[in-house]
Amino acid sequence: MYSILLSIFFPVLAGVYLLIRKEMADRRNLLITTGICFVITGILVVATLLTAHGTDFTLFYLTQSLPIYFSVDAVSVIFSAMTMIIFVCAGFFSFEYMKHETKEKRYYGYYLIVFGVLNALCFAGNLITFYLFFEMLTLSSMPLVLHNGSREAIMAGLKYLFYSLCGAYAALFGIYFVCKYSDSLTFTAGGVLTSSAATEHTGLLLIVAFVMILGFSVKAGMFPMHAWLPTAHPVAPAPASAVLSAVIVKAGVLGIVRLVYYIFGASFLRGTWVQTVWLILTLITVFMGSMLAYREKVLKKRLAYSTVSQLSYILFGLAVMDAGSVTGGFLHVLAHGFIKSTLFLCAGAIIYTTGKTKVDELRGIGKEMPLTMWCYTIVSLGLIGIPPTGGFVSKWYLAIGSLGSAIPVFSWLGPVILLVSALLTAGYLLPLTIQGFFPGADYDYEHFKKREPSGWMTIPLLILTVLSVLIGLLPTPLVDYLTQIVSTIL
Amino acid sequence: MGANLFTNYGEAVAMILFGIGFGNLLLQSNLIKKIIGLNIMDTAIYLFLAEKGYIAGRVAPIVADGVTSVEAYINPVPSGLVLTGIVVSVSVSALMLALTIRLYRRYHTLDLDEISTLLKKGGL
Amino acid sequence: MDFIQNFPCISIMLCLFAGIISSGLRGKTARWLNTILLIIVTILSACTLLYTISTGESFVYVMGKFPAPWGNEIRAGVLEAGMALFFCIIMLLSLLGGQHKLMKEVEENKVFLYYVLTNLLLSSLLALVYTNDMFTAYVFVEINTISACGLIMIRQVGRTIEAAVRYMIMSLLGSGLLLLGLCMLYDLTGHLLMSNMKESVAAIVAQGEYNIPLIVAIALMTVGLCIKSALFPFHAWLPDAYGYSTVSSAAILSSLVSKGYIFLLIKIIYRVIGFDIFINTRIIDVLFVFGLMGMIFGSLSAIRENDIRRMIAFSSVAQIGYIYMGFGMGTQYGIVASVFHILSHAATKSLLFIAAIGLTDVSGGSRKFIELTGSAYRNKWAGVTFTVGSLSMVGVPLFSGFISKLLFAQAAVQINGKMLPALIVLGISTILNAIYFMKTVIRIYTPVEETSYPSVTFKDMKLYAVVLVFFIILNIILGISSQPIVDMIEQGLAMFA
Repeated sequence: MYSILLSIFFPVLAGVYLLIRKEMADRRNLLITTGICFVITGILVVATLLTAHGTDFTLFYLTQSLPIYFSVDAVSVIFSAMTMIIFVCAGFFSFEYMKHETKEKRYYGYYLIVFGVLNALCFAGNLITFYLFFEMLTLSSMPLVLHNGSREAIMAGLKYLFYSLCGAYAALFGIYFVCKYSDSLTFTAGGVLTSSAATEHTGLLLIVAFVMILGFSVKAGMFPMHAWLPTAHPVAPAPASAVLSAVIVKAGVLGIVRLVYYIFGASFLRGTWVQTVWLILTLITVFMGSMLAYREKVLKKRLAYSTVSQLSYILFGLAVMDAGSVTGGFLHVLAHGFIKSTLFLCAGAIIYTTGKTKVDELRGIGKEMPLTMWCYTIVSLGLIGIPPTGGFVSKWYLAIGSLGSAIPVFSWLGPVILLVSALLTAGYLLPLTIQGFFPGADYDYEHFKKREPSGWMTIPLLILTVLSVLIGLLPTPLVDYLTQIVSTIL
Repeated sequence: MGANLFTNYGEAVAMILFGIGFGNLLLQSNLIKKIIGLNIMDTAIYLFLAEKGYIAGRVAPIVADGVTSVEAYINPVPSGLVLTGIVVSVSVSALMLALTIRLYRRYHTLDLDEISTLLKKGGL
Repeated sequence: MDFIQNFPCISIMLCLFAGIISSGLRGKTARWLNTILLIIVTILSACTLLYTISTGESFVYVMGKFPAPWGNEIRAGVLEAGMALFFCIIMLLSLLGGQHKLMKEVEENKVFLYYVLTNLLLSSLLALVYTNDMFTAYVFVEINTISACGLIMIRQVGRTIEAAVRYMIMSLLGSGLLLLGLCMLYDLTGHLLMSNMKESVAAIVAQGEYNIPLIVAIALMTVGLCIKSALFPFHAWLPDAYGYSTVSSAAILSSLVSKGYIFLLIKIIYRVIGFDIFINTRIIDVLFVFGLMGMIFGSLSAIRENDIRRMIAFSSVAQIGYIYMGFGMGTQYGIVASVFHILSHAATKSLLFIAAIGLTDVSGGSRKFIELTGSAYRNKWAGVTFTVGSLSMVGVPLFSGFISKLLFAQAAVQINGKMLPALIVLGISTILNAIYFMKTVIRIYTPVEETSYPSVTFKDMKLYAVVLVFFIILNIILGISSQPIVDMIEQGLAMFA
């Protein structure tokens, strides 16, 4: 119990401490303190996952019937382990990267607060706790988006705020109804709706479910509420973009997992119009995101569009509600998390050393920064889905699950669109590799200079790359673990 | 119903007066007429109270001839209420008139709608 | 009788005397007197609150030596004392926060009058909260109206005088109806003390006589108080009155004066008519419908508005709609939610008014959105506070607005017939709130390249900044530790019965 509390509140309090203390303005002090905080939080999260698995407790009562309640289950383990690894890696990456940005104190302060809030989201044990921290997440991550204070960044931050708040309200609106038609709001595998309500008020509850799914999927960038994502993610400093794109959007995915499988229950939604519309929306998003990424010239924006597309892979898997596809969805959560954070960190390393942002300007970059570009290439292959990388395994399960499900049309349309989108993914990720390593005959091969960034940047990159490959090489224990989860919730 | 209305004609008149006053206060655009409406409305309520408080043949509860029976006297509270009400109404009317004078000095009109249009054009 | 039982009466008297004394003082001295008075009354109310909580029951304080049913009484329970305490705190913060602006907008030799009026207003509010006598309530309603009118027009520009006249007209219509309903009820029951009236009403209803006059009397009083508290179709006076008066007045009017009337209505519902009898009339359905309409139309008007003060004023219309929707639900939960919303709205709305003035001050005094662009950078404290207020208004958890929305929703799902309209309108109105408040927040945080307006720092406005911090703390307290407050409200309502 204490480890849960500590892993939530230690980073939050540490962040507040960084924000308010004057002596943290000194860079050396700041980095040492922040580094220690990262390590301690990492240890706390690991300790929580090892010791507190299966425990739960109530922090306080918001109102009489609505406790702020935490519990740690298998889904929490998946999400919080991923959050922890990516946050710590991107955090250490920032130590070098943030040299050329200002206001580092504020950056690390909010970075730690977001870390704590994300842990709370992973450990939230009921819908109201989840909602509370969902809103907190929006508010605390906004300073990361508008970090550099330019007009563009601030407008992007406010757009992000507005979309997220509206999404959260759609969810809140549903919570009122769920309160009424369920025994409790505690996440329970298979759903909490009372059986009488589920049969008597099916129509109403389906509308409610749809509104709530739409609300949570704003955070996950599903069409038609995706517009904030390509605006907000690229303007943040690169490590912040990495966590925004790799982890914070997963809060929306986690919300949908909790909602669909732990509040409404898969059996309630399977075969209804909600599932059909949801499937259509996810497939549109998959295709559209890839298309937009393909046409985008700025590297970080391209990666943000790619996030839009890839997240809907996950949502598609969840929407099919078949054992295989849901396993695939969870796997893709992990694979996409590690891959996308690596991609953004690579982009950050490139911007940090060369200052160039557009793909076309980066000819020969592979000669200058070979290590970074190798990481980029390996994870790109993963995102496209070429074995033996992580992306392959997850997409395999997604496709198998979809083909094996009994949903008409979508069971084959889904894999087709996933395949087309994979081709597009190759089309938008690989040009950088090709230009980078084979800049063409007119490139001055004699005079480029090696400018690999320092170890603060390369080591996190390597760790994340290795993890993303490991998922693909040794998927069995992970798949077994996920299959166990899936068998309880379906 | 009709018979009740006839026996309680005082109360009926009070209600009609209240309606007239209420309508004037709400609908007239001339401020002085509004204030007149206000006074009619208040007076109607006093009439209603006085009418309710009075029972024919009884007198105010001042024990002069040693009669202490309840049957002989009326309830004095409504009259007291009327007095209090009059005080309130006077002060409110005075305040309204003062405000009217201020507005008239500023805009040279008593018509509230006209003042509003002037204000919309002229800002503060 | 414990000595503490004198406190309600003492605080009313103190306010009245302070008002009288202030009329002979100079502006600054009157201000000091007013601040000290408010602090004293806050302490007295807090003592009363603690006393009623510790004894667990309300007490009746007989004015003079006349016993019931003839004399005049004061009655204090948890809810009354809590309300008085809360009103004092909000008033103190609003006055301190707007003090700087007041000195600029009111002529030097008239400042003392402002404090005379606020002292009278406070006394009338306390009397409305504490009194157990309907006619006393009526008299103090009128005192309240007159002093509120003075607060609006103390800033002498055409708009405020016009707004004051419109305010007076609507208020007089309302108090006329209240008085008429009161007289009819007196006629039916023969009493003026709330407790005695309630017994008689119960007896009348039990006998089945005088059904129509009773309903007419209830309707007249309810409508009268609705008009006075600016429920939806009666809100025409409100934007000008809140929009152009000096900022303390706007904060006090929106968060206290209208709430005083609503509290009186709650007292009438519980202490005079009886909750069940009130519910059985169709009046609650009317309140429900108008509450819902107010929630939508108030927000729509606020979205169209181009002036920050008037926008906040229109938002009040929507929030009053919430409160009446709670009444209209006709359950104990609904009333609890409404009472909590009275508190949360009072805390939030005064905060917004006070924060907005900080923003307009650094924008050349203009309240148009176009001029406010980037003002949050010029006055950081006001910017942050306004954002907190906006977040509370749109219902972000940890702020007070979220809890009241939650309570309304929880109350709504208990009633089958009214659940869907209430929840749908609650959802729509939340989104509308989010649109105009977030629009404003976005506007004040949009950076401008070049500005001719100077920035202010903490040193220029120490008092103002401290007040803002207190407002934020108050808001967060209501948002986090809502359960004890809700319990207190429930306890207080139980004491009413």
